[in-house]
Amino acid sequence: MGINQIGQNRLLVLFTKLSIALAAALLWQPLLAADWQSELTNSQLNFAASFQNLPINGRFNQFSVKHTTDHAALPTNLQVMVAVASADMGNLEFNDEIQALDWFNVADHSTAIFTSQRFEIARQDKAGIDYFAHGKLQLKGIEQAVTVPFSWRQINHNQVAMSGELSLNRSDFGIGQGEWATGEQIGLAVRVWFDVRMLSSND
Amino acid sequence: MSLKNSTGQWGWLSKLFHWTTALVIFIQIPLGFYADSLKLSPFKFDIFVWHKSLGMLVLLLVIVRLLWRIKSTIPAAIAGTTLEQLLAKLAHGAMYILMLALPLSGWLVSSASNFPVKLFWLIPLPAISGPDEALKSLASEVHEICVFALIIILVTHISAALWHHLRLRDNTLKRMWF
Repeated sequence: MGINQIGQNRLLVLFTKLSIALAAALLWQPLLAADWQSELTNSQLNFAASFQNLPINGRFNQFSVKHTTDHAALPTNLQVMVAVASADMGNLEFNDEIQALDWFNVADHSTAIFTSQRFEIARQDKAGIDYFAHGKLQLKGIEQAVTVPFSWRQINHNQVAMSGELSLNRSDFGIGQGEWATGEQIGLAVRVWFDVRMLSSND
Repeated sequence: MSLKNSTGQWGWLSKLFHWTTALVIFIQIPLGFYADSLKLSPFKFDIFVWHKSLGMLVLLLVIVRLLWRIKSTIPAAIAGTTLEQLLAKLAHGAMYILMLALPLSGWLVSSASNFPVKLFWLIPLPAISGPDEALKSLASEVHEICVFALIIILVTHISAALWHHLRLRDNTLKRMWF
């Protein structure tokens, strides 16, 4: 067996190893990194305005959450899109009123968008991980830095319960203008809470 | 003046109930129509807080008043034909029913509208229904029909009292006055 022959064998072994590594990478990578998409029928995005410090509960009927996790199952990208006109306050008169210029101005700004690429682990236990998503909320054409806390609880390999709660100041986004601008009657703080069923789209 | 009623006179507690509910109702009816006519604004909300506060006050007054009435002697009917006495009884009964139905239907409208309220800016009024457009419309209809019925009966009630006082010159109004 000549030197050349040994060299060729080594090259073959190396090539085989590389092929296995590449195949493994190709096989495993997509199984671990994942794209998640909300399932509307099992999801809720609620908010509570207030009158005389008493809550008026409402919900958005149309919204979508997209979330990406990397091969270590950690979040890399979160995007929430809300059809503002789908706001339902359990009262047709209010539902009409909040579409107007002084409130959501739906005609000019139909979608609210929250995006985050920066995540911080707040707490971790057997049930799942609690995160802070530091991002930007664009609402009524105004962009503000907002931190959304959320918990990520695996239901099974391709279903996750994502829930959280935060408080927003409606005046930060110019919601409720003119005679509504003072928080004396309709409070400035709006509680937002969500319970979203996320499905993995990589199956 | 006696606290309790006698066969010929109303006692002062019954008189107080009568005239305070009368006063609140005379504010409440125009206030309700006024609140309803306003376009959505913080002022409209404030007027509605007054309307709901006074409405719940009427409800409370009427309940206590009815309990007191059940326990009390009722002064004898004023002289008149059997038909007149029957009509008077019917009118009084109808007014009690309406004084209950109006605040209760109003409370239902408020609750079904998903609108919380603190009575007199102090006492949170619990909701007696969840948000419900159909129930809200129905309760609004009932509220409206009741208020028109009450207005008609009140006009009759006041006219009859004045007729007794000014034309028949009997004791009807005097025995309800202080």
